[in-house]
Amino acid sequence: MTESMFALIAEELARIAADKGETLPALGPDTRFLGGELPIDSLDLATLLVVLEQRTGQDPFRAGFVQFNTVGELAALYRPDMPTGSA
Amino acid sequence: MNRPPPSWLHPGVRLIEAERSVGWAEIAAQADTFEAAFRAAGARVVLPPRGVPALVAALVAAERAGVELHLSRRTSAETDAKPHEPGFAVLLETSGTTGAPKLIRHDFQRLRGRLRGTADPGARWLLAYEPAAFAGLQVILTALASGATLVSAPGAGAGELARLAGRHAVTHISATPSFWRAFLLALDGAAPPLAAVTLGGEVADQPLLDRLAEGFPNAKLRHIYAATETGALFAVGDGMAGFPAAWLDGGIDGVGLRLSDGVLEVNSPRAMLDHGDVWLSTGDVVEVRGDRALFVGRLDGRINVGGVKVSPEVVEQVLLDVPGVQDALVQAAANPVTGHIVTALVVPAPGAEEAALRAAIRTAVADLPPAARPRLVTMTGNIALGAAGKKTRKGTA
Repeated sequence: MTESMFALIAEELARIAADKGETLPALGPDTRFLGGELPIDSLDLATLLVVLEQRTGQDPFRAGFVQFNTVGELAALYRPDMPTGSA
Repeated sequence: MNRPPPSWLHPGVRLIEAERSVGWAEIAAQADTFEAAFRAAGARVVLPPRGVPALVAALVAAERAGVELHLSRRTSAETDAKPHEPGFAVLLETSGTTGAPKLIRHDFQRLRGRLRGTADPGARWLLAYEPAAFAGLQVILTALASGATLVSAPGAGAGELARLAGRHAVTHISATPSFWRAFLLALDGAAPPLAAVTLGGEVADQPLLDRLAEGFPNAKLRHIYAATETGALFAVGDGMAGFPAAWLDGGIDGVGLRLSDGVLEVNSPRAMLDHGDVWLSTGDVVEVRGDRALFVGRLDGRINVGGVKVSPEVVEQVLLDVPGVQDALVQAAANPVTGHIVTALVVPAPGAEEAALRAAIRTAVADLPPAARPRLVTMTGNIALGAAGKKTRKGTA
């Protein structure tokens, strides 16, 4: 997992939670998205994936659904060498 | 007093909700209370969302009292005072944003005649739809008829439902592809012993079908095709996306299928409209690739967000009504969890301040169903028009 991808996920997830008036607990690589630890639902997770595609220019789900459960597993789906600015 | 259950309710049924397990005795007691109230209320009664046991008791009571039962999806619901027709029937609200919610009257026997589920009394169902939605009621009636166990937690997300499925060793789930994706993401090691995995309400894609087949190798995997006017039309059980192209010639299960300019048309004896030998357009665009017919989008541009059909024009109108919005374009953004989400491009009016405008938009869209709210709003200088002078909407396919 790359540090920058993890930071990007944390930043965007915090923004999505803030839009709902929620604050996130500290995220770790093993934090599960829909396991009940985070105040997010599947629409929030869907939004995160769309934002990550916009910011990285990468779509790891181009070929369809890929299993991931944790923040670390999602971060690992993105190539590490990509800039995190506008794509 | 201990009256027997109606013919459509097997006395062995168990309803598990909020850590309570109730059977016919508890349902019957609540039905007696409802019955007295319904007889006093007259021809049409409304039940706000109060959980599955109350809904079942209300069905029993409404049949006995011979009244129309409006199963509301909102706590503040009111219903039209006058019944359309006398006698017992169920009224359900439509979902989505394709207009104001409509109240659809369903003849109860006809609703029951559409059940396709298992008759296995050992089944343990998880309710993954709203109880008062058409698909939710089908699951409830299936469990009631077979004397099965039904686990429900109205309002709970996929994560909570995944935990309940594990804890109660659920065997049967019928849900949208979006629910299944979220369910897989939420599962924590111990998967429930699923024997039947059913998908409906959205297009089932091949990677998801593959993941479900791999995760639940002993389960019967089916995806159901339904259209608004006809209800469930056919089930595909070979684990492949779309359906066999050969069905476009011979039909399936008594349902005729054909393409007209790439749009699927159906001819069904089970159509809600008794039009006899009439072909209905489903509005679903289908492409034949090899020996397979695949769904590629909607003719009307409606966006499917986790099984909720969203009309981009309706959302655009809400945005255009916000002071400070000069123009707006609503589009779909594809994602692997809910299929699509709704996004918007907004052109601010001259002098509009962005932070205030975003707050005003957030307030305005809060009245829409969650699936219809634009999740990403991008401010822009202008919105490009297509060759026909219309806004060019992307991403609805």
